Amino acid sequence: MSEMHHKKPESQEDAPLFGLLAEYNTPSELILASQKVRDAGFTRWDTFTPFPVHGIDRAMGIKMTRLPWLVLGAALAGLSLAIWLQWWTNAVDYPWIISGKPFWSLPANVPIMFELTVLFAGITAMVGMLVMNGLPEPAHPLDLKRRFARATDDKFFLLVETRDPRFDEVLTRSLLEKSHPAALEDVPEDRTTSAQIPTGLIYGLIVLTAIAVVPFALFAKARTTKSRNTRIHAIADMDSQPKFKTQRENLIFADGRSMRDPVAGTVAQGQLRDDDALYLGKVNGAWARTFPSQVTPTAELMDRGEQRFGIYCAPCHGQSGEGDGMVHLRASKLGQGWVQPSNIHQQYIREQPVGQLFNTITHGIRSMPAYGPQISAEDRWAIVLYLRALEKSRAANLGELTAEQRQNLK
Amino acid sequence: MADSNSRDKKSKSQHPAKGSGHGTSSWGDVIRNSSDTHRLFVFAGGIGGVALLLSVALGMGDFKRFQYSYLVAFMWTLSISLGGLWWVTLQHLVNAKWSIVVRRVGELIAANLGLLAILSLPIVVPAVLGNSDLYVWVDSHRMQENHVLHQKSAYLNVPFFAIRVVVYFGFWFLLSQHLLKSSLKQDSEKADTQTVRLRRLAGPAMMGVALTLTFAAIDFLMSLNPMWFSTIFGVYYLAGCVLAIHASLALTLLWLQKRGVLVKTVSQEHFHDIGKMMFAFTIFWAYIAFSQFMLIWYANIPEETHWYLLRAENGWLKVTWFQLIGHFILPFAFLLSRHMKRSRTALALGALWVLFVHYVDMYWLVMPTTFVEGPEVHILDLTCWVGLTGVFVAAVAYRARGLNLVAVGDPRLETSLAFENV
Amino acid sequence: MATLWSETNPYLGAPKGDTDFARITDNVARVAEAAKPPMGWYIAFAIALTMLTGFGASLAWVSWTGIGAWGNMHPVAWGFPIVNFVFWVGIGHAGTLISAILFLLRQTWRTAINRFAEAMTIFAVICAGVFPGVHIGRPWMPYYMFPIPNQMNMWPQFRSPLEWDIFAVGTYFTISLLFWFMGMIPDFATLRDRATTTPRRLIYGIVAMGWRGSSRQWHRYERAYLLLAALATPLVLSVHSVVSFDFATSQAPGWHTTIFPPYFVAGAIFGGFAMVVTLAVPARQFFGLKRLIEIRHLELMNKVILATGMMVGYAYGMEFFIAWYSGNPYEVFVFVNRAFGPYAWAYWTMIACNVLIPQLHWFQKVRTNVWCTLAIGVVINVGMWFERFVIICTSMSRDFMPANWGYFVPSTIDYLTLGGSFGLFFTLFLLFCRFLPMVAIAEVKGAHRDAHANHGGHGGHDHSHAPETA
Repeated sequence: MSEMHHKKPESQEDAPLFGLLAEYNTPSELILASQKVRDAGFTRWDTFTPFPVHGIDRAMGIKMTRLPWLVLGAALAGLSLAIWLQWWTNAVDYPWIISGKPFWSLPANVPIMFELTVLFAGITAMVGMLVMNGLPEPAHPLDLKRRFARATDDKFFLLVETRDPRFDEVLTRSLLEKSHPAALEDVPEDRTTSAQIPTGLIYGLIVLTAIAVVPFALFAKARTTKSRNTRIHAIADMDSQPKFKTQRENLIFADGRSMRDPVAGTVAQGQLRDDDALYLGKVNGAWARTFPSQVTPTAELMDRGEQRFGIYCAPCHGQSGEGDGMVHLRASKLGQGWVQPSNIHQQYIREQPVGQLFNTITHGIRSMPAYGPQISAEDRWAIVLYLRALEKSRAANLGELTAEQRQNLK
Repeated sequence: MADSNSRDKKSKSQHPAKGSGHGTSSWGDVIRNSSDTHRLFVFAGGIGGVALLLSVALGMGDFKRFQYSYLVAFMWTLSISLGGLWWVTLQHLVNAKWSIVVRRVGELIAANLGLLAILSLPIVVPAVLGNSDLYVWVDSHRMQENHVLHQKSAYLNVPFFAIRVVVYFGFWFLLSQHLLKSSLKQDSEKADTQTVRLRRLAGPAMMGVALTLTFAAIDFLMSLNPMWFSTIFGVYYLAGCVLAIHASLALTLLWLQKRGVLVKTVSQEHFHDIGKMMFAFTIFWAYIAFSQFMLIWYANIPEETHWYLLRAENGWLKVTWFQLIGHFILPFAFLLSRHMKRSRTALALGALWVLFVHYVDMYWLVMPTTFVEGPEVHILDLTCWVGLTGVFVAAVAYRARGLNLVAVGDPRLETSLAFENV
Repeated sequence: MATLWSETNPYLGAPKGDTDFARITDNVARVAEAAKPPMGWYIAFAIALTMLTGFGASLAWVSWTGIGAWGNMHPVAWGFPIVNFVFWVGIGHAGTLISAILFLLRQTWRTAINRFAEAMTIFAVICAGVFPGVHIGRPWMPYYMFPIPNQMNMWPQFRSPLEWDIFAVGTYFTISLLFWFMGMIPDFATLRDRATTTPRRLIYGIVAMGWRGSSRQWHRYERAYLLLAALATPLVLSVHSVVSFDFATSQAPGWHTTIFPPYFVAGAIFGGFAMVVTLAVPARQFFGLKRLIEIRHLELMNKVILATGMMVGYAYGMEFFIAWYSGNPYEVFVFVNRAFGPYAWAYWTMIACNVLIPQLHWFQKVRTNVWCTLAIGVVINVGMWFERFVIICTSMSRDFMPANWGYFVPSTIDYLTLGGSFGLFFTLFLLFCRFLPMVAIAEVKGAHRDAHANHGGHGGHDHSHAPETA
């Protein structure tokens, strides 16, 4: 680069020599010339080609760049960041269970580890290359040489700078002439271009930076202050949907509530449920001892009850009814004050009337939740039927079996 | 250079009939060798033969153990030749030029597939005769255990298996012999007829290699655990094959060069390329292995995870970690640098290590099926490996005696000789 | 007024220059330097802009009224948007493969098409990126996807493949952009040095960053190029693998299969190359680049298409076999359903387009014919869109519980969005063709035979191709 000690560009005519520029028509000629210049011990010189010439590195004695090491370092930095990021956010700062995976799931973290490694390495390769190459390089004395424009087209150039300690105007010129260049020119220093960045550009950049900061300043202000303004609703009909939500205000009614009781004296269809025997398991206020008339204990009902038991009851009470279901097995491992679900074979449960069993299923008991809302009344009776069968399976007498059934036991 | 010339003179004086004049190429390099390859044949063949006999003897006492140890060693040696077959086919398919000087060695390694057909008998014959020590599905009663196995028995049954084995080895044998013979023919023809023909053949041939390799991997390795399945398994085995062949190429060429053969032919540039491929396929293997693992881990379906659970528990966990570190991280770091790939010593060490971890990979695939508590290293593991490797190397050395170790007839040989890397 | 195909078309006619290098420069640079492109360009651009407007309108409509504007409905809750996303990301892969992988494999023929293909990658990834951005329902809250500290102390769920997608596609876009831009620096310098008007000189000069072709700079440039190529290679494999993880990590039959990562990558390259040839055929004709993008380049690309198509076929076969082998009745059902269920029409379209028709490329006559190349390229793109459609919609429309079964019907907005995305792609692409160097000038020169200095000893060898047969 030219050394600019003056602020104002002086006359170009008395500009001192910057270097000697040789032009060649083929890469081979350039290679031969480069070898000569290299062997002569020059260090401040360069060649200019429209494409990277194969073998020029060796011919010029260019050493391997350190860029790959920089990129390796960046890659490792990216990798470390990815590991730390995923560990800290998902396992430390705000751990939450997702599909049973460990908080710090290395296999699941590998893709992002890989991506960030590549991202950091790639950006460093590009930016590192630019920085190490001294780019952007807006001005260079070679820009004043018309012929040099073909360096990016189809000609090959070699420049030896006067700054090189071995430079001698006469000897260096003759050395270059011996390589038979198509042209050999003097390159004066550039006195026509100011080395300073134009003030307009500087002001422009300052203004742009200021403008760019504005959004972040606004975010910062918004995050640290309170506001009484109403929110901005960009999608009005999403934010204010014309419907009444459960706990919200509804001014149509005097009491202002959205949730309404049914009109006094009315009952919704199918909600009457005036049959205590069927819906509550009670007859004359006491627990029913027989099944209600609408429910006939048949083999089909028994199968239905078994199926429903398997769906709703077995998770806690187990397939056998002993209280060893999967939920119990898991919960007891976790501890935390879990009480085992009842074993339905216990004496006091076997002695309960069917109505009481029905009531337990409907309304729950102790830690067991109410299953009334989930299971229809008919199905609940089916379950009760099945329960009785289950109980019987443990407490039957041999005398109660038929001959055929006794055969099966053997 | 001077060293190899003196060795060259030595071998010439010891065997004046062979190697003199006929063994040198037009660019002044030794391209044939009879003395060293013969010695290798005797040495490796001897040790290999003895080890195999020893294995058989030990196997009489513990046949099941013999089967398992033999399978591991067999799949390892098979992967080298199969890798060779794949590699040679690929070079023809993509019209590669750098590898022309190396290709003959690959062809010779692939040509071992005929021998491997015979070496497969200790696995195949017991299965055909009804021994289900290795493959549960040989026992058709076991296959009725559940409805899944029952359905699979349409594929996993002895007759169909036998037919498939014949098809695999038949195809491999025919193709590998054809590739070698055509290439040898070209040595004297010095025309491009073979090149053109083989390029045309390479497309369908590659399809055949892909399918036979996949199903062989399924039959020999995946079916050890008949309840398990993975669509990527064939690709996984292929990745190992590719690593194995490149490591073997490197070691073979370095061995030859140490004996003064191909010194001027195979340059640092070619080794660099082999190193690059070893590096690239280390990454590729890790990618395939990780894909298979992570997807099964993530979905966590017991039907699939049991295979990995075996390898994540008890003593096998260490080996699994070793796969990650030894099969991926270490070779990756080792082969990353340009200098390492261009250094013959580094490449030799890298190749040996790759072949070693590839063996561990085969071990890890096979052994947990029955040795659930952890790896139980047994003398049979060693004898089977030494036996098979010895016989394998002997066979290559035998075939290579007196042959041109470079495809001198290839029309683009010049380009390959002059090859320079970026 | 310049007509479509006349001699006054500034792109046609012999390029100027007294050396091969100069002619290469002129052939490419004159396209970017033409004061006024021919009418054909304007017509194409108008069509593309119209489609782009349609795209913008449909996206605005969806943002305003909600996702219901699409056909997404239980059980196929992930319809066209995800299909389109995977489709576009896949197309982007060809560019990186050509730039990076073919570079590492020293395939110098890539220099004719790599700039073109890389640009296609950038634009395809932009198209792809729109879909996840919009299909999240509240596109004004995309920041949830990024690990930005917020007042709820919430972080993204890094164990999710959808989150991995963000990083993968983001990294892919960034690296591709850097690679593409870096490749253009020397060409911008060429355009800067040829510029006759000050605005052009200024603009090309700024982006050229003062590049003058110094060999010392070329050295570092080449090293950076190699490093980026070496990084982009596993990156491109990882991106579509991560996209495949979106499906493969699930438990859905037909989705959860270990071969998805390499299968998706092969399919992406397959579809991407098809798009490259589809664009290359008209572009080389219209922009006068037939001397640079030769038939042999098209033929080589067709071979890659055939090879990757075979890999896709292999994956289809493996999925099918293992589904049977696994004995899992749901897996078996998925494949039977694909072929014979309600979406059979989509399945067989896919098979015809991806497996059957590309087989024509076994014949050299087909490979070297521009019309066949173009037609098969379009067919493959259709097939690859259908492949994603089949994978996504068949598995979702017939999952484990028959109570959940349903048939997905796309809405008009779905079609408008899909078609419109092509508008975005072609608008950007036409702008690229108009203003930027379409062929990598410096790289083509570097691959030219005159570029190699004849050092003693390497005699008359050249980097010639093998016998021009088969």
